[in-house]
Amino acid sequence: MRTASADLHTLTGAYAVNALSDIERAAFVAHLTRCQSCAIEVTELAATAARLGVAVESPPPPQLRARVLAAAAETRQLSPHTARVPDPRRKRWAGGLLAAACLVAAVFVTVQYSQSDQERQLAQLSSEYSRFSDFLSTPDAKLINGRAANGATGTAVVSASRDEALFLARDLPQAPDGHTYQLWRIGADGDPHPAGLLDSRSSPVVVSGLTGTQEIALTVEPSGGSEQPTTPVVMAMPVG
Amino acid sequence: MPERERALQSLRSTPHDVGPTADDLLALVARGDEAAFERLYDVVTGAVFGLIRRVLRDQAQSEEVFQEVMLEVWRTATRFDPARGSATTWILTLTHRRAVDRVRSAQAATHREDRAARLDPARPFDEVSEQVEGRLEQRQVRRCLSFLTDLQRESVLLAYYQGYSYPEVSSLLGIPLGTVKTRMRDGLIRLRDCMGVTG
Repeated sequence: MRTASADLHTLTGAYAVNALSDIERAAFVAHLTRCQSCAIEVTELAATAARLGVAVESPPPPQLRARVLAAAAETRQLSPHTARVPDPRRKRWAGGLLAAACLVAAVFVTVQYSQSDQERQLAQLSSEYSRFSDFLSTPDAKLINGRAANGATGTAVVSASRDEALFLARDLPQAPDGHTYQLWRIGADGDPHPAGLLDSRSSPVVVSGLTGTQEIALTVEPSGGSEQPTTPVVMAMPVG
Repeated sequence: MPERERALQSLRSTPHDVGPTADDLLALVARGDEAAFERLYDVVTGAVFGLIRRVLRDQAQSEEVFQEVMLEVWRTATRFDPARGSATTWILTLTHRRAVDRVRSAQAATHREDRAARLDPARPFDEVSEQVEGRLEQRQVRRCLSFLTDLQRESVLLAYYQGYSYPEVSSLLGIPLGTVKTRMRDGLIRLRDCMGVTG
């Protein structure tokens, strides 16, 4: 069996061309803080990808120049990072926080935002989400993917040692009125066990108690959830 | 500010045909130098807009994202770390990220499905081949792309120029997810070696 870090290592290319889902990106960024060879490779592959960008150069309409320069003149720049006394424990924590920040940013921050709002949000949420950042830094973290017939995709970070998975869906359509999405753990015997409701279509959900679980599945259920699935499975992801 | 004076001096004395590099200019921009930002704009703007336009295709959306990106370059120049790559790489990485964010945002979802359905996987390379005839570095990109296997080239270009995620590339090309990931990686590694990129 391949190790989780080998799995993550192969993501350098997909990361450099921005082909990762938000959750994988967060997992990979967390991995980068622990894998120097990955970080070097990412730097080189990002520089390589940038050459592809330069190759399709084409000038913008000239009137944008004055507009951008005027906007810059009225925009305060971010304060620079300051040097810190290195402390390995702090560095690990910072890596985890960065991963949490990426995840939180990916999930909660929309395209249009003001920087100060984002920073405030991140500060506030990073404490709540320390659980996720720990999770993404677990050495045996492994990524699994699923796809629904309607094009929605699911990604989960699975950690056998923690006996947990962190699930995130993307592009899920709104559940019908009075309904919600529910996750299931499917055992080797095929029996489904309730594994949590999706509060929103884009928030991550922690699935606990993975021992003996073969698959994680998603169905639409009446609000409040069901004891047993009452509709066909929308998406299933093998955990093994 | 004697240090800044010196930096400006060295910029002014740089021969015109060479000009200050994006790295020189970004260092000055980080210190709030608006004149340097103006010059940086002229140096990188073609690549920034060209890449956005390539990914988004829509002119109005491209102009919008372009302005956001250039303003973000100004705003976050203070966070640029030369140890982690060149200024051009930093700016184009940011550019690509923002273009892809826009592609993946909810509003664009429906347009994209149409595009995916129409897409001929052979197209991105052909388009690059047509466009990159001219300049020296563009010819190098074209030459190096030709050394990739078809799967490597398609995987890299569909992600980079079309803004597709690797599951989308996998479904377009009909190859497993794991294969797409590794083709993206070994394709970029082959390009890196061919172009002599050091990071």
